[in-house]
Amino acid sequence: MLKLLNKTKQLVYPAIRSISNNSSVLASAQQSNEAVESSDTSASPEIPQRPALILPQNYAEYTPVNKNSARQAWIENTDAVKERKVGIIELHPDVFAAQPRVDIIQENIEWQRKYRYVSFAHTKTRAEVRGGGRKPWPQKGGGRARHGSIRSPLFKGGGIAHGPRSPTTHFYMLPFYKRVLGLTSTLSVKLAQDDFHVIENVDIPTRDEQFIKDLIAERNWGPSVLIVDKNDIFPENICYATDNLGYVNLMPSFSLNTYSMLKHDTLVLTIDAVKHLEERLLYQLHRNDAAKTGGKFKLDQV
Amino acid sequence: MAATTKLTLWPKLSQQLIRLINTQPALHSNFRSSKVVEPLDQYPEVEIVHNAPEWKYVERLLPPRIVPQPKPKESYPSGWQPQTANASERSYYIARTKNHMVPVYLHTRFRGQRRLTVVRRVQGDIWALERDLRAVVESARNGKLCASRVNELSGQIYFHGDYVDVLRDHLKSQGF
Repeated sequence: MLKLLNKTKQLVYPAIRSISNNSSVLASAQQSNEAVESSDTSASPEIPQRPALILPQNYAEYTPVNKNSARQAWIENTDAVKERKVGIIELHPDVFAAQPRVDIIQENIEWQRKYRYVSFAHTKTRAEVRGGGRKPWPQKGGGRARHGSIRSPLFKGGGIAHGPRSPTTHFYMLPFYKRVLGLTSTLSVKLAQDDFHVIENVDIPTRDEQFIKDLIAERNWGPSVLIVDKNDIFPENICYATDNLGYVNLMPSFSLNTYSMLKHDTLVLTIDAVKHLEERLLYQLHRNDAAKTGGKFKLDQV
Repeated sequence: MAATTKLTLWPKLSQQLIRLINTQPALHSNFRSSKVVEPLDQYPEVEIVHNAPEWKYVERLLPPRIVPQPKPKESYPSGWQPQTANASERSYYIARTKNHMVPVYLHTRFRGQRRLTVVRRVQGDIWALERDLRAVVESARNGKLCASRVNELSGQIYFHGDYVDVLRDHLKSQGF
């Protein structure tokens, strides 16, 4: 346990330098771009060569908690089965390198399972069981125990005193910041465990589901893949391709949740989704009126 | 029907009720109480100004949307110090809260009879931090032992007693 936590602690990444701080990285990237543009296309002629996509992070608005733990992720292509790195994106450490609070992830999973659950178990009380309106025998004189009805809980076949009553809701709301922390912890865990990929966009060349299967096999993505884009409307091709595959699921960024992230082995986000999630989560982590998120649950409030 | 009979039976009460209703202001907040829109030329002229220069007087009164960064100064009269520690110096790191404060708190239990000092947001080797902090607390108690509890999973350390100021000053001196 200690070894696991020490591995995920946010220190000793000496080789990683923040892209936005380091101008030489950007300069060398520009040089490599020129080299790419000038050289002959050694890759197949179908894939056009474009300059590499370098997306640095702007730390001016939200200063990270731990400035040393900048994370970077490759931006991968979706236009071919074979993996090709299209660029690099710098991820904000408060969202993607947060302390992985395993206890909070567990609470989130438990909440997601339980808050919608309605129990339909039902037992009859002594008033509902058929019969038992009459006093079975007189109060005194029989030598037997005194009883008022044959359907009291003491009797075989009688009603149940404190049994389940259908329908019973198990609704409760987890505190807002536990849910935010659950998302940041799970994203950090996914990145730390190599189950996180960033793709440029969700456009694929064919409607064939074999393309997706080959892509997953080629890149060694997990058995199940969750593809997240910013909006809920996805391009046609990916919708047709993943329609019959139960283990590849598409999701908009506003639906992202801890349970789905853990259920699917690999998490794939588009650049738009990454930017949107970072912006929303960082706002919630730094907002001034956080006390408003506490209090009684209202239906029109997060 | 029952209401009207009640009103006639107690005329004095009904008069008082009507007087009460008339003294209260009429509510114009429902659909049926609001007027129907008339042709627009009957309303006075309106000039729409986008980005009015006077809006800055409203903006400066609104609270900031996100917690602002503190202004860098030599020293602060409250005793607050900005975080200067680097995560790679020591084997542990204590993150500041959203409001740039040191995360040491006092919890009271058993109707105020038990006081616990809690250090939260600990990352890295929490056991090493616990040893260091316990040494600080025990020196504040003149060598007496202090009971402590480490929750490794959630990064929290609990000490028996009220040593909030002691630990906060210590952590600030370490740069956390």
